[in-house]
Amino acid sequence: MDDYKFLFKVVLVGNAGVGKTCLVRRFTQGLFPPGQGATIGVDFMIKTVEIDNEKIKLQIWDTAGQERFRSITQSYYRSAHALILVYDISCQPTFDCLPDWLREIEEYASSKVLRVLVGNKIDRDDREIPTRVGEDFAQRHNMYYLETSAKESDNVEKLFNQIAAELMEQARCKELPRYDDGNLQNMNRRTTSVDVTCCGN
Amino acid sequence: MTTSANEFIDSEHKALYSKICNEEDKVTRELQAAMARHPLLDAKVRNITKVLPNLEVISQDAKQLSDMIGFASTLIENVSYKVRRLDVARSRVFECQQRVHDLLDLQLCCDGVKSSMNIGDFEKAAAHVHRYLSMDQRLLEKTADDVNQDSAAVNNSISLLQDAATKLRNILSDKFSEAVKNDDLASVERFFKLFPLLEMHDHGLDKYSDYLCTQIQTFSKTKIKTTLDNKNSDKRAGIIFADVITLLFEDIASTIEVQQPLVETYYGPGRILKLILKLQEECNKQIKVILNELWRTRQIEKYASMVRDKNRSTSTMKPPDPKDLDQLLAELTIIQSRYHLYLKFLKRKVAGERITEKEGEQNDLVAKLESKLQSSDLCRLMQELLNNYLLLEHFYMEESVRKAIQMDCVDQGSQTSSMLDDVFFIVKKCIRRASSTSNIDGVCVVINNACGVLETEMCSALMNTMKVGFPSGYLDLTQAYNVMMQGRLQTTDSEQSKAVFIAHLNNTDVGSEYINTLCTSLVSEVTCSTELERRKLESCLTGLSSVSAAMGASQELGLQQLRNTAIKPRVLSWLDSFSTLSHVLSEEEFSSYEANEPFIRGFIGNIDNFLSEFKGLLTGNNYETLVSILATEVNSLMEKVIMKTEFNRFGGLALDKEIRALVSYFSTATSWSVRDKLARLSQVGTVLNLEQVNEISDYWGSSPLPWRLTPVDIKKILKLRTDFSNDEINKVHF
Ligand SMILES: Nc1nc2c(ncn2[C@@H]2O[C@H](COP(=O)(O)OP(=O)(O)OP(=O)(O)O)[C@@H](O)[C@H]2O)c(=O)[nH]1
Ligand SMILES: [Mg+2]
Repeated sequence: MDDYKFLFKVVLVGNAGVGKTCLVRRFTQGLFPPGQGATIGVDFMIKTVEIDNEKIKLQIWDTAGQERFRSITQSYYRSAHALILVYDISCQPTFDCLPDWLREIEEYASSKVLRVLVGNKIDRDDREIPTRVGEDFAQRHNMYYLETSAKESDNVEKLFNQIAAELMEQARCKELPRYDDGNLQNMNRRTTSVDVTCCGN
Repeated sequence: MTTSANEFIDSEHKALYSKICNEEDKVTRELQAAMARHPLLDAKVRNITKVLPNLEVISQDAKQLSDMIGFASTLIENVSYKVRRLDVARSRVFECQQRVHDLLDLQLCCDGVKSSMNIGDFEKAAAHVHRYLSMDQRLLEKTADDVNQDSAAVNNSISLLQDAATKLRNILSDKFSEAVKNDDLASVERFFKLFPLLEMHDHGLDKYSDYLCTQIQTFSKTKIKTTLDNKNSDKRAGIIFADVITLLFEDIASTIEVQQPLVETYYGPGRILKLILKLQEECNKQIKVILNELWRTRQIEKYASMVRDKNRSTSTMKPPDPKDLDQLLAELTIIQSRYHLYLKFLKRKVAGERITEKEGEQNDLVAKLESKLQSSDLCRLMQELLNNYLLLEHFYMEESVRKAIQMDCVDQGSQTSSMLDDVFFIVKKCIRRASSTSNIDGVCVVINNACGVLETEMCSALMNTMKVGFPSGYLDLTQAYNVMMQGRLQTTDSEQSKAVFIAHLNNTDVGSEYINTLCTSLVSEVTCSTELERRKLESCLTGLSSVSAAMGASQELGLQQLRNTAIKPRVLSWLDSFSTLSHVLSEEEFSSYEANEPFIRGFIGNIDNFLSEFKGLLTGNNYETLVSILATEVNSLMEKVIMKTEFNRFGGLALDKEIRALVSYFSTATSWSVRDKLARLSQVGTVLNLEQVNEISDYWGSSPLPWRLTPVDIKKILKLRTDFSNDEINKVHF
């Protein structure tokens, strides 16, 4: 069961009520939970996906959007391999807060973290943020962009699979040895997570 | 017709013929069997003829019997019909009796209520009304209609009792209020018990809860007041808000504890939730007051914004001294842990109400409590407080660790520097403090932050030292330490930085060990109440392994630096004398070479001095690695000087002996085998020690160790022998 090759931490952030928990539930359990209460602190789920015949274990941290959990949320940025920043396409204020979230990410997350912007709830017919506006924002801030519906299961699978594939790619390119003399140390250290940050040096 | 056709027909006929014969056999056998049964059948026919007249009689009898049964059945049906009628009649009589009873009781209650109320015996009055209320009201009215002649009297009684009930309800309500006003506990309880008799469960619980709330409010107010009055003088001043909150929670808990049996006895099962929720409303109000005061007195807002702003350039305020936060952090964690206990108590109380029949109902109650609690002010305020606690705890840890690193010093007699123990002490302290909140999210956050602080503060400090490198120049660490002990001023920079380098290199080694120990101890120390919590904790703990990895990277770099600045130049200088010595020796020269050991004695001596200097200074792991690096360097550098030297038979012999001496020295210097590191050098010695060129072919095939030298290498080495001809060497085949 535990024979995965890669382990990545994926952290979801964004305003309260934009549908982070619903996205995670949809992806991990295949359902759209009715009457979903606000997340308290942080929730934790695991799902293994397979890409190119490689098992990839995703450790998904679903954080609470409410302001009073900020200390908890912030502590998960640093070790994240990917950050999913979610807003609600039918709710302008959740889009307006994105710069604040980016500031937090800048301050706490690793600079090489994979950042993905997600506009959720595209099933709704009262859209306030046109796709192009979201795309533009993502492009300006060097992020991937995807629109989803946790309710209709649109793009949810794709979102997480693409992240897994991208992280695997990054991890592979850093697998080259960093020191020329490998047998210097009788190294038996546990390296459970792959340090993506050193990719591309 | 041809013969073959005949034959074919014959064979066909033959088959048919044999089939017919078989059939015939079979028929004959069946015929015989039938004939055999003939006498038997005859006998049977005779018997039947004899019995025939009897059958007539039997048929007659059967008919008669059937008639009788039919008759009996009709009879029984009649009887059972009567029994059913009887039953109905009896139940009517019973009902009638009940009604008569009710009528009698109605009269009785009616009389009783009047007199009881007149003399103020509310218990009796309530009991009468209760009796009346327990009668079937609709039936009662019907009775009144049925009992034609007395209908007026019955209706009269009913309306009288109804009036009495209303009146009694009002009186009890008033009396209860009055008792509350007079703070007359006995009367409060007295009337509280009477409400359910008048079917005023909700009203009674409401009123009673209100009363209990005022009690709690009074209690809380006095406590807050005395607290604020003594907040500076009290010896528990530092955690006085935690104390008040504890008192409030305890007061509510004991109220519930005391009231639960009362409520259960008089109001029935499942009612305690209503009381708890009412009390919780009061709790919310009081907590708000206390926490507001805490917020103000402890200047949490100020500290929090200082901490938030500390990294921003716009910040004008000086960040607080972490030491000033110690007590506040302790107080905040006590509050969190008391809150946690309080919640557990409430859930246990509601879940413990075993009297409700259905399991589902039980869960409903608990779910209702939980959802109420989750949206309560208490919960929101506690989450806010936790948020600020975590912010300040992070700051505390970061600042204290920074300070510990700034104040780092190397004590003689210690392999590591002071920062290592100090930093781990701080980190452990913070994590333990967080775990005393019983909030697993909080613990996880502090562990996450610890990983960050260890990596960005400590590992990078160690990495910096390693990057600067080990100062070259002759090494005298003992002297460096002595000088440092006498006072920093006299220490030369280079001596001090050597000592620091070594201590920090050791820090990386021992630090990794500390991290593993920390991990295991936290796994057993931190209590998780659910499987999810345990997985959260374990997954956050794996973050520590990246700290281990960062330490490992520093350690590797440090050892590389040692190789480059301390080992390589030194080995090279020790090898100087080798090149000055001739290895083309006569027999006499060989004897004196062997006796004097002009190279190897000094070489091993140098190595030994070098190692013994480091032995006590480095940790076991680092020392082993150092020896291994040294052996590797000797192996490659010595080969290089050998390749620049000429040998004859005796010179080769002398060299091989020197190399063997070296290998045996290294084998005694470490607990593990370094033979492997020196394998190539040993093989160079073997090759140079050959008597004849062609002997190499024997060695090549039969060596127990795999050859580290390639055929090209070997040929090059053989050419160092002045007494071997190039022709011969070129002829060697592998
Ligand atoms: N129409 C629609 N509604 C959605 C979708 N995703 C989530 N919702 C609704 O949005 C509300 C909030 O969803 P959550 O998943 O709890 O939001 P959250 O981001 O986890 O909120 P916090 O935990 O408070 O940070 C719920 O009522 C969901 O039913 C979606 O794709 N379409
Ligand atoms: Mg959520």
